[in-house]
Amino acid sequence: MISPQAILALGTALAAVGIWWLLPGSSTQRRMLGGVLALMGFGCLGSQVPAVGDWFTKGIFHAIAAATIVAAVATISCRKPVYCAIWFGMTLTGTAGLFLLAGAEFLAVATIVVYAGAILVTFLFVLMLSQPEGHTSYDRRSWEAMLSAFTGAVLVGILTTMIGSAITKADQLPSPFSGDGQGARSDAGQALARPPREGGLKPTLQKPTVSRLGAELFTRYLVAVEATGTLLFAALVGAAVIVSQGRAAMRRPDATREGGTTDAS
Amino acid sequence: MKITMPPELVALQSFLAIGAVLFGVGLIGFLSRRNMIVMFLSAEMMLQGVSLSLVAWGRYHNDLGGQMLVIFIIAVAACEAAIALALVLMLFERKGNLDIAVWQELRESNQPPFEEEPPESEEAPADWPHLTRSGVLPKSISEKESYRRKV
Amino acid sequence: MESYIPKLLILIPTLPLLAAVVVAVLGKRVLREQSHWPVALALAGSCLASVLLIFAVQQAQKNHRHEHVVRLWTWAAVEGRGAGSGGQEANTQYPALITKNSVLSTKNSALITKNSVPTTPAFRMDIVLRADSLTAIMLGMVTFISTLVVIYASGYIHGDPGYWRFFAYVALFVFSMTMLVSVSNFVLLYVFWEAVGLCSYLLIGFWFEKPAAAAAGMKAFLVNRVGDFGFALGVFLLWTTFGTLDFHDSKVQTIPAADGHAATTVVHVDPQAVENPEIPGTVEHGIFGHWRLAQEHPFGEGSVVTAICLLLLVGACGKSAQFPLHVWLPDAMEGPSPVSALIHAATMVTAGVYLIARCTPLYAASLYAQEVVSTIGGFTALLAALIALTQTDLKRILAYSTVSQLGFMFLALGTGSQLGVTAGMFHLFTHAFFKALLFLGAGSVMHAMGGVIDLREFGGLRRKMPITHWTFLFGCLALSGIIPFAGFWSKDAILAAVAEKASEAPGSIYGYLSYGAMFTAFLTAFYTFRAYFLAFHGEERIPKEAGHHAHESPAVMTGPLVILAIGALTVGAYFQWTGDFLGHKDHPGFLMQTPSLTALQTEVVAEGSGPSHLTVALISTVVALAGIGLAWLFYIARRDLAESAAKLAKSLGLYTLSHGKFFIDEIDRALIVRPLEALAVLLAQIDRSVIDAVVNAFGAFPRALGATFRPLQGGLVQFYALVMALSVLALLGTLLW
Repeated sequence: MISPQAILALGTALAAVGIWWLLPGSSTQRRMLGGVLALMGFGCLGSQVPAVGDWFTKGIFHAIAAATIVAAVATISCRKPVYCAIWFGMTLTGTAGLFLLAGAEFLAVATIVVYAGAILVTFLFVLMLSQPEGHTSYDRRSWEAMLSAFTGAVLVGILTTMIGSAITKADQLPSPFSGDGQGARSDAGQALARPPREGGLKPTLQKPTVSRLGAELFTRYLVAVEATGTLLFAALVGAAVIVSQGRAAMRRPDATREGGTTDAS
Repeated sequence: MKITMPPELVALQSFLAIGAVLFGVGLIGFLSRRNMIVMFLSAEMMLQGVSLSLVAWGRYHNDLGGQMLVIFIIAVAACEAAIALALVLMLFERKGNLDIAVWQELRESNQPPFEEEPPESEEAPADWPHLTRSGVLPKSISEKESYRRKV
Repeated sequence: MESYIPKLLILIPTLPLLAAVVVAVLGKRVLREQSHWPVALALAGSCLASVLLIFAVQQAQKNHRHEHVVRLWTWAAVEGRGAGSGGQEANTQYPALITKNSVLSTKNSALITKNSVPTTPAFRMDIVLRADSLTAIMLGMVTFISTLVVIYASGYIHGDPGYWRFFAYVALFVFSMTMLVSVSNFVLLYVFWEAVGLCSYLLIGFWFEKPAAAAAGMKAFLVNRVGDFGFALGVFLLWTTFGTLDFHDSKVQTIPAADGHAATTVVHVDPQAVENPEIPGTVEHGIFGHWRLAQEHPFGEGSVVTAICLLLLVGACGKSAQFPLHVWLPDAMEGPSPVSALIHAATMVTAGVYLIARCTPLYAASLYAQEVVSTIGGFTALLAALIALTQTDLKRILAYSTVSQLGFMFLALGTGSQLGVTAGMFHLFTHAFFKALLFLGAGSVMHAMGGVIDLREFGGLRRKMPITHWTFLFGCLALSGIIPFAGFWSKDAILAAVAEKASEAPGSIYGYLSYGAMFTAFLTAFYTFRAYFLAFHGEERIPKEAGHHAHESPAVMTGPLVILAIGALTVGAYFQWTGDFLGHKDHPGFLMQTPSLTALQTEVVAEGSGPSHLTVALISTVVALAGIGLAWLFYIARRDLAESAAKLAKSLGLYTLSHGKFFIDEIDRALIVRPLEALAVLLAQIDRSVIDAVVNAFGAFPRALGATFRPLQGGLVQFYALVMALSVLALLGTLLW
């Protein structure tokens, strides 16, 4: 049999090549081939990712994970920014599904509402404002596609390997708090060695999550919430100032447009 | 070798793996795409990966801290989006496009700017019908042809 | 009367200094066109004080007090090893100090220790002023001339934007000059020597917009640097040889700590206090102090004294424009005419003469220094007179005549006899009057001619400017040495002194100098009257630059001219009669009461004015009249003769030589400036190609290092992100390993 490490390495390599060819700048044939290769690579990776639960839960998990990753890859490889944004919406939906599976109902909803509903729409607005004429020269090219693809893929590979090995090591620890330093090779291992807080893992958390979340948010994290509110307000003002003052600077006669022309169709 | 792992660890592992993939894919996007908005989307995607990991850890530890952190991440991402999009808009108004390679003024003064050769046409030339030649050869038909596909 | 001497001595320089400060502070905004008032009043006050000082010094001499020293404050003090201790200890340490300080005098130190009572080895410099006959005469002359010149200048400079600046500079100059002649220390002398040089520079470059004026100022400054360098070396040598730079004796009395009072040191400079044996303390013997002058060989016998004398002579040559450092003075005529009259004719340029007169005992102690002084003086006098023959710029003619007359003074001082020294000082005094008069007269002409001073451009001004004409004629007669004008008496004394020295030492250089001086006197008369005839006689020609200005100058300018003309007529005869300078058979005269000159007295008083004197007077008068006659012949009666003479001289190349000023500037340029420039170019090349190369090599290494890493700063955000991601990968990789 092929060792899991080998499969991981193969998957990483396949995904790297696939994404490299998928990125804008390649010919259509190569992009198709890249898509296939990327699918295969992520498939290899996915085959090494276990899932928990009965076959239905497993199936759901795998389906959502696959959709998320496909959408993510599509997000970065589409040539038209609007498609990118829409694929990103898909990614967000997938993430929300995963949140749901992980028992974070509130976050799932918040991601959909805030990210997909607000932030993404803002992105789309900006796109509409700045680039109404469709795909441009710089959307048809990539910067160091191969190097970036391999960097990212190797990062994924390393991270997955670390996750796997760390968990395996943690599992083999004689005692979580032995302190002899035997198994405490990495921080991840130590963190994993900590036992779950109250009575092990439940498929869903005991109390309704949203009410617990709300209670925690406005007791333990009250100061942070206030700070975040202030930050939001400051960002709002900042955005307004940037836009208005930038426009004022643009109107001055000496501020001429330098270089760069819009790519007219 | 076959390792039997507790289910909570298995769940954690799978979520972390997906988070890592999201992070990595976002990184690739951020590094390779030239459109500032797409770069930004990629950065958001990296945040999603991190969020997923946090939620997974929170679930593993049966602790709400992870989710709490994600809430703040969402809030900060909203701020970031507001500011960054305002900046992107201003940069666009300055130079008329969203290419990040236009903004290279912070390089060392005697370094040449990064410039790419013009993009090769990535679509195969359309297969126009070839008509039988008759009479006078129309002038500069090749030029017109080369323009036509852009129309 | 005598008790006023310190007060007067302080008052004389203080008044001009105050005026200078007042005008400098208030002149630009407040006083403006009235800036001459504070200066004129202050100088008049100084002049009055100087006259009173002369009387006071004269009175004191009747009580056999010839030297008055005022100590104002201590300027600088360096504690020596034996400072403040008893004389005995200092005694043992003095030779050590000499050998330590001086390489030159190590051989002489034994001699000096044998000859002199040692002084405290501490270096202490006081601000000390002195009054004796020499100083009093110089002060009187300087303040009188400067007062008249300031009055004249208030008319001459009128309307100039730098009006206040001019008077501030002049006041500063008079302060410096009065200090120069009254200080009693070589370092202070040097300080004010430089200060008058600075004022001269400022005033030559008064019209600094004019490139020629700025260049002339710079030239004066640079040429004077050469002289001052010699002077400074002379002062250093004096210090290392004699261990003091004071002229006077002083006594340091340490009053021991008494009840409640700390120990104090009192410095006595009054000669009576110094010589009073009842006052305990360490005596420092000044260079021209009473004790040293009383010795048989006051300055040892080595060649060190000659070296000192020659170095001081270099300084004197620079300041008094003697060959070969005379080149700056004619160019200095770019300054305003009152400046030429005051600084470059009457006062500052005589500082070198004053220095040599002051140092007469030193020169007397040296074997060859006096011959050198005389030779330089005689040669300069002849050379300048020859150059003056062909110049066409009126002020330059006068400038060369100044150089020539200063040469006469050097010639006289170099004889080293009583008659010579007194004649030199006498000539200095009379020359100040008639040369200032001539320069002011030339300024008056220049004023009327709209700034034109070239004799070819104008002529026949005697009707347009009667007062200027008559006063100028008086100055010319005095300069030519026609009896009874001032110049006759003093120049005659000089010629007599040289002739006397020549007869005393047959076969020496003085014989030639005597003939040369006589010939120079002839030339002087000729070129003086050449200028006079060209300017004031012949047909009336007025340049167009003159415009409506071509008339007599205002009273404020003619007034000083008249006063000076009366002076030029009378001062010589008057002082000949009183004998204040030259003395009579029974009385050595006021000037000879100067302590440092009294040593000459015994040698010469017996000879006095013998029959040779009369012969010399006769010859010089005939010679002067011949010069005037020749000038009249050439420039009034027979112009064609002048032209044919000029043609003859031209064919012999003499004319070119004289007109080109003997090409001394060019020779200087070729021999000194060019080699120095070449050396500078060479050094610059070495600096660039050798030293800079080494430095650049050190700089090139980090530069190369930087060039290697510079491409990292490409300015593209994604590259930075990529580097960051790769670094994270590397970190994770090592973690995973």
